[in-house]
Amino acid sequence: MLGNYLFVLPFMVFFLTFTVFPVLYAIYMSFHDWAILAKEHPFVGLQNYAFLLRDDFWWLTLRNTLYFAFLTAFLNTVFALIVAIAVHQPIRFRDFYRFIFYAPVVLSVAVMGVVAAWMFNTQFGIVNYYLTWLGLPAVKWLANPNIVIPTLSLATVWWGFGFPMLIYIAGLQGIPGHLYEAARIDGASGLRLTWSITIPLMMPSIFFVAVTQLIAHFKVFGQPYIMTGGGPGRASFTVIMYLYQTAWRFFRMGYGTTIAIGLALVILFFTLVQFRIFGRRSTIEY
Amino acid sequence: MAATKTFSTSYRQRNLLSRLGLHTFLMILAVLVGFPIYWSFIVSVTPNEQVFRWPLQLFPDAPTLEHYREVLTRQDLQLPRWFLNSVVVSTIITVLSLFVSSITAYAFSRLEFPGRDFLFVSILFALMVPGEVTLIPVFLLVRNLNWLDTYHALIWPAMASVFGVFLLRQFFLSIPKEMEEAAVIDGAGRFRIYWQIILPLSRSALVALTIFTFLGAWNDLFWPLIVLNRLEMRTLPVGLTVLNGTYTQERALIMAGAVIASAPVLLFYAIFQRRIIEGVMLTGMGGR
Repeated sequence: MLGNYLFVLPFMVFFLTFTVFPVLYAIYMSFHDWAILAKEHPFVGLQNYAFLLRDDFWWLTLRNTLYFAFLTAFLNTVFALIVAIAVHQPIRFRDFYRFIFYAPVVLSVAVMGVVAAWMFNTQFGIVNYYLTWLGLPAVKWLANPNIVIPTLSLATVWWGFGFPMLIYIAGLQGIPGHLYEAARIDGASGLRLTWSITIPLMMPSIFFVAVTQLIAHFKVFGQPYIMTGGGPGRASFTVIMYLYQTAWRFFRMGYGTTIAIGLALVILFFTLVQFRIFGRRSTIEY
Repeated sequence: MAATKTFSTSYRQRNLLSRLGLHTFLMILAVLVGFPIYWSFIVSVTPNEQVFRWPLQLFPDAPTLEHYREVLTRQDLQLPRWFLNSVVVSTIITVLSLFVSSITAYAFSRLEFPGRDFLFVSILFALMVPGEVTLIPVFLLVRNLNWLDTYHALIWPAMASVFGVFLLRQFFLSIPKEMEEAAVIDGAGRFRIYWQIILPLSRSALVALTIFTFLGAWNDLFWPLIVLNRLEMRTLPVGLTVLNGTYTQERALIMAGAVIASAPVLLFYAIFQRRIIEGVMLTGMGGR
């Protein structure tokens, strides 16, 4: 029976080394002034946390991050559902459409970033080219502090909506067909069927997508890092970019961990919301 | 009779109309979604003097491979080496972590040992902790082990994938125990049951996990950006951000780099699309 431990031993070693110990160490570090090259890392108590609460830049990056995450999660949740319902209809080429819509998801954020950065370039970007071709004014997509985050959000939806779309399609496949038949005999239109049968039955999937999307996009880094560098000014500087800058540009590891823990608490809050809502998700029946 | 007829005709017409609308919507969307990928490829084969010229040539009349030659041979880029790094690291991570996750999942689903359920629940708790918290401590650990700028820095931390263990355990639990009984009577050991019965029966889950572990490793930007500094040690996504930051004005060159970094995954996706799409729906992995 003790031999059975051998089967979990490799994983437990990695898990303890790269997850459990680092989490505890992060908490420990956040109570110290931890410059990476210094010989000593003096204990500072709650100073890092006190500083965080007074740190305007932290609040600014948190605001940017929340704005981006809520907008992107909202757009993805709604848009992916519309597309999923459209693709789920018994029409020709549905596999082809599915194939195209999921394709950008397999790209690295690095690829997505360099492509989108040029698409939304004010002077040479293809988006503005077609806008002016249509007689519309050019837009400073990434250069205007008021629209830089919606632009990043739009690019992220292009890159990622195929994933929630597939989650929705999996949900749609679970809705029994007979539910539609009675309504159809009563003469309900397709739109009516969608609104009164599909959407209510899809509510668990919709909540699931909304919360997981929100959590995922709190961690946004690559898109602004590549496309804007956090600019213009600091209009698209996100929390993870601030963490990156603090720890790997200024080498302030203690305060960096404090930022990470601050963000983690925000994420944890939404994770708990998710657990509350979906604790018994698997027991839902139609 | 007449009433039925008008009803069915109008129903069919309405149906046709809504189908037409649906196809128009999906077709336009497909063009919008696919176009940036196509366009990046077109730019990468467009001669430099035409890159900034409008209107855009959707089918360039004088395509060139010049940018590919340049991006692959520039000494300050080392793109072939980055490609090799990405292939080696992603492959090793995938193979090793699949083995570690599956054997752990097997133990948690089939074997008895004291504290098993406690261990499993504590692992699940880790799923709730956002990975960002461990970034700095793991970085310091990797640095103290002298692993910065080596493959070790990317490979070993990736082995602690809780999600893989969780996913496979759920899958293994759904395999009926009777499947193993014959083997037990034949005197097969635990490892042989894992290797010759459980793994082959879990092909769909393992394939999905393999694909998404590989894609995740191939596409990762943040962690390699932190632990890799030397030019020749970079992976493709890190290299691409450097290329993008250094040669801002040479768009065709950057696009050639982007195409090289994404061609393998897009090709892979095109070939295994059915499995990949089914894999997403089966596991809920494969996205953000």
